[in-house]
Amino acid sequence: MTDQRDVIVHLDKITKRFGSTVAVDKLDMEIMAGEFVTFLGPSGCGKSTTLRMLGGFETPNEGRITLGGADVTRLPPNRRDVNMVFQDYALFPHMTVGKNVAFGLELKGKTRSEIDRRTEELLEFLQLGGFRDRTPDQLSGGQRQRVALARALAPDPKLLLLDEPLGALDAKLRAQVQVELKDIQKRTGKTFFFVTHDQDEALTMSDRIVVMNAGRVEQDGTPEELYFRPQSRFVAEFIGETNLLEGTVRGSDGDAIVIDWNGIEVRGSAHGAKPATGDAVMAALRLENVNCYSTRPQAGNAIEGRIVNKLFKGSRTALDIRVGERDDAVIKAYLDAREADSLPPEQLWIDWDADRLSVLRD
Amino acid sequence: MTRHTRILMSVIYSAFVVYLFVPLALMVMMGFKDSKFIGFPIRGWTTEWYAGVFQDSEVLGVFAYSMTIAVSSTLLSLVIGVWVATFLGPNKFRGKLIVFALTCLPAVIPGIISAISLRIFARFLSIEPGMFAIILGHTVHNVPFVALVVMARLATLPKSHIEAAQDLGADKMVAFFRITLPYLLPALIGAGIFCMLLSFDDFVRAFFLGGYQPTLPVLIFAMLRTGMSPEINAISTVVLILTAVLGLWAERSMRRMNKGA
Repeated sequence: MTDQRDVIVHLDKITKRFGSTVAVDKLDMEIMAGEFVTFLGPSGCGKSTTLRMLGGFETPNEGRITLGGADVTRLPPNRRDVNMVFQDYALFPHMTVGKNVAFGLELKGKTRSEIDRRTEELLEFLQLGGFRDRTPDQLSGGQRQRVALARALAPDPKLLLLDEPLGALDAKLRAQVQVELKDIQKRTGKTFFFVTHDQDEALTMSDRIVVMNAGRVEQDGTPEELYFRPQSRFVAEFIGETNLLEGTVRGSDGDAIVIDWNGIEVRGSAHGAKPATGDAVMAALRLENVNCYSTRPQAGNAIEGRIVNKLFKGSRTALDIRVGERDDAVIKAYLDAREADSLPPEQLWIDWDADRLSVLRD
Repeated sequence: MTRHTRILMSVIYSAFVVYLFVPLALMVMMGFKDSKFIGFPIRGWTTEWYAGVFQDSEVLGVFAYSMTIAVSSTLLSLVIGVWVATFLGPNKFRGKLIVFALTCLPAVIPGIISAISLRIFARFLSIEPGMFAIILGHTVHNVPFVALVVMARLATLPKSHIEAAQDLGADKMVAFFRITLPYLLPALIGAGIFCMLLSFDDFVRAFFLGGYQPTLPVLIFAMLRTGMSPEINAISTVVLILTAVLGLWAERSMRRMNKGA
C-alpha cells in the first residue's frame, strides 16, 4: 500500500468464530479513504462476516477495528459512522421513499429544513426526483436499489457497506448499475466496502479487490494484478478462466523463470519471488494471453501443437491445443472466430509473453 | 368428483346454510312482531321494539358497560400479547416450548373452569366482582390469540429491516416503535377486533366475575328468565349486525395482512 491517502479503517488481526467454525481468521488490513474495495469470495469465505463486523452487527472474538482512528470494535450499529446497503435493500415498506431516506437524518437530530434539503438533494442525485412520495412496493428493482443507496448515503457516513446489492437485479440491469455505482462512488468520494461473489462485479467496479477463502485473505490487489498475476491457485481458478501448468523449475533466463512442463520448456514470471531450481511449481496462464501462429515464428520459443477441440462461443472461440505426447499436455486459448478458423488444425505454433505465465506462490 | 357427488355436496351445503340462517332470520323477524309473545302466527308488524331498545336507558347503559369492558380488555390484551410475542418470537432459550404452551393454555381451558378459578383468585386478591375483574378475566383469555397472530406476523418481518433501522441510528426502542410496530399494525387490527368480539360475546366469565351491573349477554339471560319478549330479539338483532360487520372487516384485514400488505 503505497497510497498517500489516509487510512479510514484498520482491521487489526480480527478473528470471528461461530461455535467451532472460524469465519474470519486473523484478518489484518487497512482501507484507505475514498477507496472502492471489494471483498470477493465464495459463500462462507468470511466476506459477509467481515462486513457485518464493520457494521456492528457482529463483534470479533479477537482483534480491534478502528474507524477514522477511533476504536469501534464493540460499538453497536446505531453509534457508528457507517451505513449499509442491504442485500434485500431492507426498505421500510410503510414509509415513502422520502421518509426512508430521511430516517437516518431524523435520528441524527437534524432540523426539518436540513432533512428536507438533504433528502431532496440525494433523490435528485440518484435520479429519484419524482419518487419522493411513492412507497417501496411501487418501485422497480433498480429504483429500490437506488433508494437504499440514498438512504445509506444520507447520514454522510465515513464508510459505506454494500452487501451484494446487485444480486437481486437481472443481468442487463446489473451491468448498468455497476457503472452507475462506480460513478456515484467517484462523485461522492466515499469509501465503499463492497461484498460480492461475482467476479465481474468485482473486476468492473473496484479500485482494489481482496479475495477471501476460508476466513483468510488469498490475495489483495488491483483488479489487473488479480487477473493477470494471481498468486495462488484459488485466485487463478476463482477469477476468469485459466490454464494451470504443473512443472519443475529448470533455472532462469533474464527475468523469466524456465519451467519444465511435461518435458517442454516454458517461460514464466514469479513477479519478484525466486523459486529455486528443482522446485515443483504451478503456473497460471489466461486463455486470451495465448498467441497462435500458422507458421513457426522467427523469434521466441514457440511450441508446436494441434487443435483437439474447438468451441464457438460467440464473441470468441475456445481452442484446446495439445502440445505434447501426454493427454493432459493441453493449452486452452481464446481467439477471434475468424482467426481460429484460419489456423491449420493439425500443425500450429503457440507462445506467450513470459510475464503472462504467472508462477503461483503455493 | 363425479356429477352425483357434486350434487350431493351442494345439497348438504344448502341444508347447512338453511340450518345456520333460518334461526337468525326468525329471530330478526320476531323483533318486528306487533305482539308481546314470540311465535307464529304473526298478525302485524311494528318497529316499536327497536325504538324501545334505543330509548331504554338500562339497555343503553349495559351496552356502554359491555363496550367499556370490551375496549379495555382488548387494549390490555394487545399490549401484553405484543410483549409476549416479541419476547417469545425471536428469542431462543431453554423451555421456550413450555412457556409457549403456558401462554396458549388460557385459550383452550373451558370457560366455566377458567371463570370459577378466576373468581376464587380475584377474591384471594381482594378484587371486588365487577368491571375490573371482568376486564382481567377477558384479558387472560384474549392474550393467547393476540400473541399467536402477532407471532405469525412477526415471523415474516425481515431481520434486515430492524438491522437497517439500527444501522441508521435507531436504538432498540426506536426500532421497535418506528419499524416493528407499524409492520404489526394489520395483525393488531385483526387481533383487536377478534378480542372485542370475544369479550363482548362472553357470558360465563362476565357472569362469574361480575357484580350487580350485568353485561349485555348477562342482561339478555336475565330478561329471558322473566319471559320472552320481542325486545330481546331487537337487542339481539342490533348486536348481530354490529358483530357481523366488525367480524367481516377483521377477517378482511387479516386476509390482506397475509397477502403481505
